[in-house]
Amino acid sequence: MTGAALHLNLLKDSEHRSSSPVRLRVMMPLLAMLATIGALVWWGTNLTQLVIVKTQADSLDADIKSKSREHAEAIRQQGEVRETQLGLDQLEFYRTGVRHIAEPLAKLAEVMPIKVQLTGLSVSRLPPQNLARPKGVKGPPLWGPPTNVETQKFVVAGRTTKAPPLSALMESLDGPGFEGLAGTAGDPATGRKGTVVSFRQDSAPAKDGSRLLTFEVEYIMPERRFAK
Amino acid sequence: MLNAFEVKVQLTKDRTIDVSLPFGGKKGRKTDVTGVELYSLEPDGCPAVRVYQKRGEWRVGAAGFVPSPAGAMPECWDDIAKQPSWELPRQFQAPGAAIAVNSPDALFGQASPDAIVQEMIAGLRAPAASHSAPSDAGKKRLGIKRAPSAAKPTEEKKPAQSQPSKRPELPPEGVPVSENGRRFAVRPFAEDDLRLAASLPEYQALWLGRLLPEGKRPTAVSIQLAESALMASVMMQPAYRDSGGSILAVFVRRDAVFFAGYKLGRPALWRRCPGVGGYEAMRAAVKKTLGVEEELVDSVLDDSLVDPRPALEPFLHPVLEQMELARAYLESRHSINSERVLLLGLPSGAGQWSRFAEESLKIKVEPADPFAGFALDKGVEIARPQAFLPAIGAALAAMEVES
Repeated sequence: MTGAALHLNLLKDSEHRSSSPVRLRVMMPLLAMLATIGALVWWGTNLTQLVIVKTQADSLDADIKSKSREHAEAIRQQGEVRETQLGLDQLEFYRTGVRHIAEPLAKLAEVMPIKVQLTGLSVSRLPPQNLARPKGVKGPPLWGPPTNVETQKFVVAGRTTKAPPLSALMESLDGPGFEGLAGTAGDPATGRKGTVVSFRQDSAPAKDGSRLLTFEVEYIMPERRFAK
Repeated sequence: MLNAFEVKVQLTKDRTIDVSLPFGGKKGRKTDVTGVELYSLEPDGCPAVRVYQKRGEWRVGAAGFVPSPAGAMPECWDDIAKQPSWELPRQFQAPGAAIAVNSPDALFGQASPDAIVQEMIAGLRAPAASHSAPSDAGKKRLGIKRAPSAAKPTEEKKPAQSQPSKRPELPPEGVPVSENGRRFAVRPFAEDDLRLAASLPEYQALWLGRLLPEGKRPTAVSIQLAESALMASVMMQPAYRDSGGSILAVFVRRDAVFFAGYKLGRPALWRRCPGVGGYEAMRAAVKKTLGVEEELVDSVLDDSLVDPRPALEPFLHPVLEQMELARAYLESRHSINSERVLLLGLPSGAGQWSRFAEESLKIKVEPADPFAGFALDKGVEIARPQAFLPAIGAALAAMEVES
């Protein structure tokens, strides 16, 4: 049994009204209007921001265009400055790397023993500088050597009558004032800075018929550094 | 009451659309409705009853007479502009209201589909149901400004070509349909190829639909004719439920007596007792025959000090004859054994009716309390309960109570 069989309702579904105080008939247009106004405000805000940004972009673009020549000149000058500074730096490196051997050589005459006759003073040649860039790296040649440290040898050759004068000479060269020639390191076996490469009897006798001794002593000169 | 998955959007004042969400469920059943009878000729106002269901129990939250709406029900399309707004007292402010209306222009009864279609073709030119027509005194109380016949000549003078050429279709069950200026609703009978049909002029239906204002409780969820609501008022009666919804009921109204037959909860018979007035006619007969004053009529009918048989016999004789015919019809056509007959709507003298029926027909006519089957809320006091039958029936029908 159901009451629906006895329900002869003459009210159509479309005529039902809501008992809620919030009327959709009123609220829907209001909400739609508010949503439309909100969308318009949002759209307007975006449009205004877009116009402002576009104006700023145009202004910046014009400014950039107007300053492009000066900018290029400034960039070029900056490049020049960099290049010049680089050159100056390299010059400074070379200045730092200059060996001061004149004073030690002048002082060598003062300490030279009587019984020693110098036959040669030589400094080994430096290896040729490789200023090419590493493989695969393009660009102009390098300004300086690939390594900033160079070493050279100072060789003292001469004649003497016996060993003590040579020992006196080597002792003098180990002393102060000869660091520019003899360096600071030495042969740990002898405790001397120099290394006796050869010490033998000369093949040709002297005028008085005596036999002289020739020697060759090698020193490792201080490192030459290309750095500030 | 709408469920959570359906939204009702009122686009204009007269246009509402239902928006059902795709995951929506079934339409929810109403459980709190105020039934109210409009233009009932009751001197105290409109009978109103608030019925609701709580924890499976049907309860009456309020019952009483409320002031009638201002203004009169429209009698033509021009009157519809004068739309009053009617608000019910606080205790009757349920979510929905079921309105049972008494209208002289209403049509209600059982009819064949062809007859209903003919009524739909006739539309507004159809004569008003004679049993619904109020007396001259009643018209004034009903708020009818002029006789229906005064408004109809202009409609009858319509040229023939204005008549609809297309034959209307019988309305689907339970769906109101507008046709030719009238609104129709039908329900099938139990077994016969008959329909229970109700119709009201379109302008009155629109007027009633807008009577309760939007946005305030209650709003109209159902508009029924008073006779239709009367028929649904038995649904909570214990005798009706005990019989499985198969019973004969007699409704006595102020100006008419109706027989209603039910089979398994579906309508099986609806008939007005011909040639018999309502209980007002019975009271007039008592006053005239026994020579008593109005104030003593109830005492004569309910007490045994005075035998009212001489006054009641001529009145009840045709009623009992029609009751016998109704019982025979229900027994022969629907195999309903009507040993018990419900008697409803009679304010006094129900005992006399039972006694007469038992003596002459050997059947038991049981006077029933309209509020039987309901639990009353605290503080609800009901004077003249029989006056609330249409209001109860309207609410129960609108809630589509299952019994």
